[in-house]
Amino acid sequence: MINRRNFIIGVPVALTAASLSSSAHATVYFTEAAVRKAMFPTASQFIDRSFTLTPVQIKSIKKASSAYVLKNKVLVWDVMGSGGKIGTLFIDQVYGKHEFITYALALGLEGEVARIEVMDYRETYGEQVRNPNWRAQFTGKRYGQPIFLNKQIKNISGATLSCIHLTEGVRRLLATKALILTA
Amino acid sequence: MVLTIRAQPWLGTLVEISLDVSDDQAFQSAFAVIGEVHRCMSYHSDSSDLARLRCSVPGATVTVSPHTVAVLRLAKWLFEETDGLFDIGIGRKLVAAGYLPRMDDRPLFHFSGNAGDIEVFDDTHVCCHRPILIDVGGIAKGYAVDAALNQLAQRGYEYALINAGGDLRHIGSAQETIGLRRADGVVSHEIQIANVAVATSSNFLSRRKNRGRLASPHIGRDLTPLLVDTAITVLAPECAFADAMTKVAMADRALAEHMLNIVGGSLFVIPMKEDTA
Repeated sequence: MINRRNFIIGVPVALTAASLSSSAHATVYFTEAAVRKAMFPTASQFIDRSFTLTPVQIKSIKKASSAYVLKNKVLVWDVMGSGGKIGTLFIDQVYGKHEFITYALALGLEGEVARIEVMDYRETYGEQVRNPNWRAQFTGKRYGQPIFLNKQIKNISGATLSCIHLTEGVRRLLATKALILTA
Repeated sequence: MVLTIRAQPWLGTLVEISLDVSDDQAFQSAFAVIGEVHRCMSYHSDSSDLARLRCSVPGATVTVSPHTVAVLRLAKWLFEETDGLFDIGIGRKLVAAGYLPRMDDRPLFHFSGNAGDIEVFDDTHVCCHRPILIDVGGIAKGYAVDAALNQLAQRGYEYALINAGGDLRHIGSAQETIGLRRADGVVSHEIQIANVAVATSSNFLSRRKNRGRLASPHIGRDLTPLLVDTAITVLAPECAFADAMTKVAMADRALAEHMLNIVGGSLFVIPMKEDTA
């Protein structure tokens, strides 16, 4: 019970932090409709098979994929072509550096990865955006350097974003498919 | 100009391709090139060309992809031009410092070779005269960008921009604004570029403690890890070269500037704060 209360108090704090640091801009590469069309151009129908994982299922996925299961809701579609099922489409989210990356995973009939497309990604402009001391800089003029925070810069050079969470996410979805969808 | 941007995870980072047309085929073929480079030169894979070179008997000829040969040729040339400073045989030191996983049971001193021990026979055949733990992390992302961009240029696209986690290259007549990150990750400067490659490296955020000492993925001439608080941005005609020059400049700025002068590139040092410039 105590844990739950702490969690609820924690949420507004996190939201305030996010709204204070308007230091990220989102790039949307695909909407849901567009990613379906791009990944399965020949599909005639997407049958929604989304479901909620039970705690036991979460545990088994975690064990099989050694990836942390962040959300219990799995968004998944069976993709139907003219002659029956042609694949499976997942839409999932993983943590990037500070924000979620939404991505779509297309699987072929054998359950093999056909294509991964990132749907949206929020670029952060500073490693320390969550750090209150770093944010306090904005009140003074001394370090007026990060002046592009509210401006759109499409491309940034430097500080490679590691995609390790995306790799984990794909492993987790493959385990979800193998353990639950085909069971 | 309306841009279509696509992103896929490759090369251990997010690779973003922008085109001024919405042609799924073009994006797929460019990502396919990057995927091929990824599969050829992944350190972590057991089936990559690098893995086969790692396991090859010294002196035995290994058949590899033309992409791998192109990177090895450039790496060998850089090794000679920088007098051994830029060495793709760095894998051994990166494993020792914990940046790369150990891929087999052999002790690290077994991998005594450097880039000079690689011999390239033709476009698909190479051999290592000594065991060498190759890691092309300092060059292959740039090469992948070049390969994919060349393919798009061959298809006749007049505008294209590929950004592989900060190693980027642009073709097009209009100027493009690029944000540059400081070593601590904050975007502090912006530059206008056209028809050029940009690469930025720093090690402020990638340092780690190794046996009580600070290690970084960049190693200097005296074999000690380089701890540089500035970020280094290189502009060059080709991304692979720009990528490599950021690492050379970490250790020897004058040499990097000299080499960039020859190819028509330039180098910026981005200070951590304005007052330390």
